[in-house]
Amino acid sequence: MNLNASTNSVEALVAKIQGLSGGTARDLAHLHSLLKESEDLLVSSDSTRPSPASFLSELDPSKHSLGYLYFLEASTSRPISKEGSGEVALSISRFIDACKADQIRLAPDKFISVCRRFKDQVLLAEAPIRGVAPMLIAVRKLQISSEQLTPLHPDFLLLCLLAKCYKTGLSVLEDYIYEVDQPRDFFLYCYYGGMICIGQKQFRKASELLHNVVTAPMSTINAIAVEAYKKYILVSLIYAGQFSTSFPKYTSSVAQRNLKNFSQPYLDLAISYSTGKISELESCVQMHKEKFEADNNLGVVKQVVSSMYKRNIQRLTQTYLTLSLEDIANSVELKSSKEAEMHVLQMIQDGEIYATINQKDGMVRFLEDPEQYKTCQMIEHIDSSIQRIMALSKKLSAMDEHISCDPLYLAKVGRERHRFDFEDFDSVPQKLNM
Amino acid sequence: MDFSSLTDALSSQNYAKIPDICETLMLQVAAQGIAFQDDWPYAIHLLGHIYVNDINSARFLWKTIPVAIKESRPEVAAAWKIGQNLWTRDYAGVHDAIHEFNWSPEAHCIVAAFSELYTKRMFDLLVSAYSTISIQDAALFLGMNEDDATNLGRGACRHSLVRD
Repeated sequence: MNLNASTNSVEALVAKIQGLSGGTARDLAHLHSLLKESEDLLVSSDSTRPSPASFLSELDPSKHSLGYLYFLEASTSRPISKEGSGEVALSISRFIDACKADQIRLAPDKFISVCRRFKDQVLLAEAPIRGVAPMLIAVRKLQISSEQLTPLHPDFLLLCLLAKCYKTGLSVLEDYIYEVDQPRDFFLYCYYGGMICIGQKQFRKASELLHNVVTAPMSTINAIAVEAYKKYILVSLIYAGQFSTSFPKYTSSVAQRNLKNFSQPYLDLAISYSTGKISELESCVQMHKEKFEADNNLGVVKQVVSSMYKRNIQRLTQTYLTLSLEDIANSVELKSSKEAEMHVLQMIQDGEIYATINQKDGMVRFLEDPEQYKTCQMIEHIDSSIQRIMALSKKLSAMDEHISCDPLYLAKVGRERHRFDFEDFDSVPQKLNM
Repeated sequence: MDFSSLTDALSSQNYAKIPDICETLMLQVAAQGIAFQDDWPYAIHLLGHIYVNDINSARFLWKTIPVAIKESRPEVAAAWKIGQNLWTRDYAGVHDAIHEFNWSPEAHCIVAAFSELYTKRMFDLLVSAYSTISIQDAALFLGMNEDDATNLGRGACRHSLVRD
């Protein structure tokens, strides 16, 4: 009797979903509350009851997205065998592709939970590439605007990293994020994002993202910030040629006190980098090689070493107009003038130096940057930068206004202002020294 | 798997589009849970990345190719050899890698087009980076014999080539 009754209720629920999904916003809201009330009905560990999965065939994921989501979430909450994981992953990926964004946004937590299960299945099957395209679609459907960071962003970036689809991951990193719900999402997004940028050799962007992790508000130290700090040191050396151990004022005190304790080998590397001597740097790398390898950072460390050669050659251009290849080799600790020639040629190819090589005389002549800032391209670039900065400035003003009306902020400021009421100040000095 | 957009790009010699077409298709096919690796045109995919000078993506793609395919498909390994030489900046090695393999008809067109592009790129680099260069080196970088290199050098009237 009970079994029949519950099956009937589930069938009635299915009928409601079919009826209300295509209706008005009010119909959808009504359907949503019905679904919320019926959650217990769906999530039952009683194996005698028909599983929610069996009802999925009666629903169309593109029309009845909200209802389908509830049933899908319930059916995937049961433990899944490794053999079944492929099918489950496929059914979720098809749902993500077909579902209507406005319907699933009514139940974001359920959608996130289903997508995370999809990610777990895909990782279980050791095929992260299967999850990349669906997860990107999921992120875009969940986002209300491209400025919002969703909990699915870090999951997507993780899949990109594991599947080595770095370029696809970059597409999401190009959005400017202004809204964050959960700090943990933000930490992971910036950390994984930093790793993707390092992989694509976009060190400036990597540096910004990792900087965000290190300086983000935190009440206790977390592992993500620790690992991010290590990579941040390396990326700063590659990109800026230096690393400052002092934190910006807005960094949390927890980070300021603790991060350095976990990164001593990296700080040693930064110190040896600042000597400008390759031999010092390489011996430091040798000394801490196992630690770098254990942290999976050895590849980036090697890039730090190559960057020093470049930086040392670049420094020569500030002193000399012409220099022999042999002198360059000696100064930068390269083995031969031919090696120096190859280094200089590569830097010319990459636009890191302006020079011409005279092979006959074995000389290099350093030139000025030929950029005259007069081309149309340059003007467009400057113009778009100005537009971007104006938009950012407007955003900041809006945020500032918003915060000044925030009750929490006003309460805190009000408490502090109280100590400095007008009457507390003397308007005339106490003593007059004649 | 529907490779029609890829074959269209190849036949219309629109090689620059190949990387995006391949990436999108690969992700789509993977999302459907299809085991695509055995039938995937890895050589063309790699050559596409190499053509647009995106050696980073070529490297990552090479890392994801199953070992069995790397060993059983010599053309895939040969395509990667070009990429590897580009990555390590073995300028002369790139030419060797291009010429030492017997490419399939499909791959042959894109390799030939890349070879032309690369030689031109190297020539432009040599012209801007060197005020004088030995003929041997020029020949090595341009993948030509010394006579051809000399003739090419004479054509670029801004610079003089010097015999060693």
